[in-house]
Amino acid sequence: MGATPAYAMHISEGILPFPWALFWYVAVVPFVALGVKRVNALSRDDLSLKPLVGLMAAVVFIISCLPIPVPTAGTCSHPCGTGIAAILLGPLVSVLIAAVALLIQALFLAHGGLSTLGANTFSMGVVGSLAGWFVFRALRRIGGGLVVSAFVAGIAADWATYAVTALILALGIRGNAPFLPLFVKVVVAFIPTQLPLGILEGGITAGMVSLLYRRRPDLLVKMKVIEEISGHA
Amino acid sequence: MAAHRLAIEMPHSSHRLTRVDARLKVVCGAVLLGLVTSSSEMMFPLLVALLSLTLCLALGVSPKTLLFRFSEPLLIATVVLLLKLFSAAGAPLFTLNLLGHQLVAHRDGLLEGGRIASRIAGAVTVMAAVGFATPFTELMAALSWFKVPQVLVDISLFAWRYLFLLFEDAQVVYHAQKNRLGYVGYARGLRSMGTLAGVLVIKAFDNSQQITTAMVQRGYDGDLPLLRHRPFVPLEVFFCLLFLVAMAAVRSL
Repeated sequence: MGATPAYAMHISEGILPFPWALFWYVAVVPFVALGVKRVNALSRDDLSLKPLVGLMAAVVFIISCLPIPVPTAGTCSHPCGTGIAAILLGPLVSVLIAAVALLIQALFLAHGGLSTLGANTFSMGVVGSLAGWFVFRALRRIGGGLVVSAFVAGIAADWATYAVTALILALGIRGNAPFLPLFVKVVVAFIPTQLPLGILEGGITAGMVSLLYRRRPDLLVKMKVIEEISGHA
Repeated sequence: MAAHRLAIEMPHSSHRLTRVDARLKVVCGAVLLGLVTSSSEMMFPLLVALLSLTLCLALGVSPKTLLFRFSEPLLIATVVLLLKLFSAAGAPLFTLNLLGHQLVAHRDGLLEGGRIASRIAGAVTVMAAVGFATPFTELMAALSWFKVPQVLVDISLFAWRYLFLLFEDAQVVYHAQKNRLGYVGYARGLRSMGTLAGVLVIKAFDNSQQITTAMVQRGYDGDLPLLRHRPFVPLEVFFCLLFLVAMAAVRSL
């Protein structure tokens, strides 16, 4: 955590040509609009929702700045943090959280960028959040334990994010080259870092949920993650 | 973590550019980004990168901060350059033997990779210049003026306002964990990081309740008051347009 830079794998500013940058902005608009609608509706009843979403965006920002050493790649990478945001606040609110965290990172850390904000929000905010949320809910519905479900949801959110990031990158930078070989190369380039990182992110997500369950189960009940406080996770 | 903080450097308040209307800086930044990302040549993005870097240095940003901030885009630009170099077709430049695999570098790949790398350099430096020259609150007020949904602006302001507090909390917890050997070994490190992230979530929940109570007592009804823009200064608008026309003309050369 010291002074080692985390080689965040958001799509860098300027990497996508203008038409693709615009395409991903357009693709993300409906999800952001739904997120805005959801937060507006919820905050009418609960004035603390906007501050909470803002603070969660700050948490996601910090989590995605945590450099995690990845032994197989010999570098540092970082978790996305949208898995836990989606589990706690739902996928639509998580899209907004990701968009805000990515905007601040783009402006002040050069992680990601403004021209690639649409693409990054789509991969991390939309796909990552939906994957994490769906997997968590599905596992809970079939009787999965809280911590195990969170672990798998963390992995799903991370891997789904980077699969879509690879797709966006390959589409954006291929030029006249065929899509599939380049996509495979990008995926292969991601694998040494992102495969173990996904498992690490699953571990972190499970650790967070476990801590919340032990220390503040009331928050999990309030966020409708669990229905009632029972003896074991 | 401390290194990230280093890169969130506040703008140099005495520089003239920091006093220019934030709406004009947003327009200039967005148009330049559009010009850079739609450029099919290397020279224009590199020129923009040079201009923006000079501007950052003139704003008083230290070279160390700039180097740190650009380390990640530089890494990504290098990776993209290598990917394109070894994946394009056309005339071969040289061959590398990597663990028994023959990797053939192509001239077209080098050119295409160079174009993308130059786009990254141009776009990243433009955003850095806008970020260093514009306080966050002014930037958000400008986005609100451009009709970005108020919810997004409000959430961004809350996130920005409490980011540093949470950062301090995270550092305190991290150092306490580290002093107790919480990061010795991967399994223990992972557990510690999960705990750290969980503590931050709890603090976010608790702080949001306290903040809301305090704000409601001061009249908060769900909307954050934003900075009010002064009227546009005709001279600033003129120079903004002149700059953009000049850049568009240079790009079309």
